[in-house]
Amino acid sequence: MSGKLVSAGVLIAGLVAGAASGWYTLQHGMVQGETYSGWRGSKVTGSVDADPWTRARVAVSGLLALNKSQAIYFSRNTDDSGARLREDCRYRVSGGALPARWWSITVYAADNYLPLNDDDALSFDQTEAQPAGKVEWTGILSPKRREGEPWASTNKAGDYDITLRLYQPTPRAQQDYGAIPMPKVTKLDCGGAA
Amino acid sequence: MTRNLKLLALFVGAAVVGHVGLVMAVPHALMKVAMSRMSGDGTRINQFSFGPRTTKDSRGVVRPSPDLAYSSCVYDLSKGPLLVSAAPSPSQGYVSLSVFAANTDNIAALDTTQYPQGIRFVLKRKGQAAPVGVQVVESPSDKGIILDRRLAPSAELFAEVDQARRADSCAPLG
Repeated sequence: MSGKLVSAGVLIAGLVAGAASGWYTLQHGMVQGETYSGWRGSKVTGSVDADPWTRARVAVSGLLALNKSQAIYFSRNTDDSGARLREDCRYRVSGGALPARWWSITVYAADNYLPLNDDDALSFDQTEAQPAGKVEWTGILSPKRREGEPWASTNKAGDYDITLRLYQPTPRAQQDYGAIPMPKVTKLDCGGAA
Repeated sequence: MTRNLKLLALFVGAAVVGHVGLVMAVPHALMKVAMSRMSGDGTRINQFSFGPRTTKDSRGVVRPSPDLAYSSCVYDLSKGPLLVSAAPSPSQGYVSLSVFAANTDNIAALDTTQYPQGIRFVLKRKGQAAPVGVQVVESPSDKGIILDRRLAPSAELFAEVDQARRADSCAPLG
């Protein structure tokens, strides 16, 4: 009798430990994929070819994501020096022509939702940063508004990350993420120096 | 010693089952939650719902884009195929219709670059009949979500595309 009880206890403990490890895996890690100049992206996001772990991670951190024929998503939580993005710092995001019909950069808090601020500047996009005819572009991530520049507010963002969306990427971009000229993220200053 | 090894094997086996089981179940569970929210607890099935402009308070689905206007149709193909259509936005702004199966897979995405006059397709299960000459998308599940995304990075553009999307349709094939 006690032997069966021990076995049942071990069985339950194993199931709980396994489920806990699964949940930890899904919670601690956006879609893994590969890293391209500091940006992480997966070629199987939204795809029927996604493995169960990728599918589950996308469900947790990017439910209803499109497959790469329609949109490519990249995320990062570090600047170009490898330091964690901080709410109280100011960063310049810069780049050139991106191989897509339209792009945007959005700030997300650690809970995978938009930061709870009232700045009405949760992202900037191609229409704002790269009007017709302009190739090189810059935008600012900071907790305070910067007039005259595309700006995404990190106010109340906590341990945030940013997502780059490339909508209707070119066939070459879909084929080879490494060929995409990824935007740079450069720290300017911290602690209100801005 | 043998007994301890058997218990260890039991623990490891149960842990693998628990881990894989949870990973497999999560997408279906989160889709069910999303479908329930988007359909008003099942009161709006096979019809489009038009979401408000995305703000900090948009908490229905993770990682919403504040630059897009979202509309959703929670579908149920158990009683037959649906005819789905979306009108283009003014100035040929980006519009796409994407279909998600119950396991979260994006099984189709059609946009107004491919279909500048508007997107139109029949959504059905394998084995269900569809009219000839219409684009067909086959879903591996009875239930899922169709999402209309439209470029709307400002309040003015949102107002424009909001008018256009009201012509969207997601209804049983008549």
